[in-house]
Amino acid sequence: MGYIGGIIILLCINSIAVMGVSLLTGFTGIFSLGHAAYMALGAYTAGILTVEHGVHWFLAILAGGLLAMVVAYLIGIPTLKLMGDYYAIASIGLVESIRLILENWQSVTRGARGYPGIEGFTTLPVAVAFFLVMAIVMVHLINSRYGRAFKACRDDYLAASLLGYNTARYRVLSLAVSGFYCGVAGALLAGFMSFIQPVMFDMMKSTELTSMVVFGGLGSLSGTLLASVIITLVTELFRPISQYRMLIYGGVLVAIMVLRPEGIMGSKELWNLRRKR
Amino acid sequence: MGTLAQQLINGISLGSVYALIAVGYSLVYSILLFSNFAHGGFLVIGGYICYYTLTALGNNIWVAGGLSLLGAGIAAVLTERIAYKPIRERTNITLYLLIASLGMSIVIENIFVIVAGGRFRALPPVIPTNPVHLFGLTTTSAFDLLSLVVAFVFLTGLQLFIVKSKWGLAIRAAAFDLKTAGLMGINVNLLISIVFFVAGVLAAVGGIFLSVRYTLYPQLGGITIKAFVAAVVGGLGSLPGAVVGSLILGLAEMLTAGFISSQLRDLVVFSLLVITLLVKPTGLFGKKPTEKV
Repeated sequence: MGYIGGIIILLCINSIAVMGVSLLTGFTGIFSLGHAAYMALGAYTAGILTVEHGVHWFLAILAGGLLAMVVAYLIGIPTLKLMGDYYAIASIGLVESIRLILENWQSVTRGARGYPGIEGFTTLPVAVAFFLVMAIVMVHLINSRYGRAFKACRDDYLAASLLGYNTARYRVLSLAVSGFYCGVAGALLAGFMSFIQPVMFDMMKSTELTSMVVFGGLGSLSGTLLASVIITLVTELFRPISQYRMLIYGGVLVAIMVLRPEGIMGSKELWNLRRKR
Repeated sequence: MGTLAQQLINGISLGSVYALIAVGYSLVYSILLFSNFAHGGFLVIGGYICYYTLTALGNNIWVAGGLSLLGAGIAAVLTERIAYKPIRERTNITLYLLIASLGMSIVIENIFVIVAGGRFRALPPVIPTNPVHLFGLTTTSAFDLLSLVVAFVFLTGLQLFIVKSKWGLAIRAAAFDLKTAGLMGINVNLLISIVFFVAGVLAAVGGIFLSVRYTLYPQLGGITIKAFVAAVVGGLGSLPGAVVGSLILGLAEMLTAGFISSQLRDLVVFSLLVITLLVKPTGLFGKKPTEKV
């Protein structure tokens, strides 16, 4: 497998999580600063289920995704009914609370030292298969009736609700699906690293996910995937100057918003670049 | 009994520092309707200016404090001019402003990581922290009383500015409807700069007190999360709400630390957020956002 294989697995995992954030931020227009929390939920669920209860890894991954989805749904109901930045602030609260719980619930999560000894179930074929299946599902979701409803909520929620869409319901639905994607990504990460720690899922990770989506293009799935490839590779290349990494991240985020808020791809997809819209 | 009184004073004192931060954040929110995540950066800028002036020019808190307030205010205005003005002039999608403010907060934090290093720094001992006995009932630190008094002075000043001055009237008009305020002849760009300057100044005051309380480091701005929570508890965009929310938060935090466990104090803060969102999502003083077609 080696180094290249490892990078490809990491790329698949990141891409799954980024697809989740892209659905929420890019297609539904809701800003999140806490999606690492859903990854943490997925990772710890999968880790604890496989190590302590001997559950098969495939079921453990699904369980991780589902738990993240349920939590996302519960957070979404009160916060997404309101317009405004309620979810953004609640998401910071969520990611911090999950980290605090993971660090302090010693008997289950083994605290801040991390959770070791997870079976390395995320092999290259597993990661690629998960990525492909989830990407195909996402493409179909976005082009479905639901996808159009999400975009309607993003572009003009007032017009959407006048057309009879229950905008709050669609916003919560989008968050739940996006939580599921991040939960699965977290579970795969646990199986890849064999060791997980609460600090792996802090606000920095959440910011990274959001910036990949912004960089790729709000409303372009292939753009965000492209961005996650570029950012993952560039992060690997820039390891020697990693102290400037976050500074560059921040600067790029501001620059994109000021100069080209639609990101590298805008709302176009790679596969219909030629077609006139 | 003594512990309770002591924790109450500590809580109100901490809450009043949160209030300084929350009020600035709420002020910006009330005008531009987006969460300025770079707000924590202004606080860090204020703290570092104070630290470096104190170490370079000797221990004169008045000079250092003044420069720090001025510097943070100017930094806030510059942030608005560089990052937000081009966006808000082109579109009214607040998501873009939100992302730009996240970017600015990362930039400010990491400038200090690179320039000043990630070390924890203690401010020179210019603010007294010796114990004070209150009427023989309880013992508290002079620092807690001082931060309470200073916060009170600044918040009263802000209230007077908003209620009595001409620009305060303009700010209230703009909070009601920015576009119409502009049509009535208010210079919107100048108004927004003033709002950011005030927000930066208040954040710097909070920053100085927080860096005495917790030492100074580049990630200190992360503490603004609590001010955001306080603003939501009190009602987003409402200034009295921000103050009341901050006091509730400070008290909840200190009482938890004093009587249950200091590890749980942050969890209590976020539970308060969740409870608010479940029971009364618009907060204590928030008005329900209504949309006219």
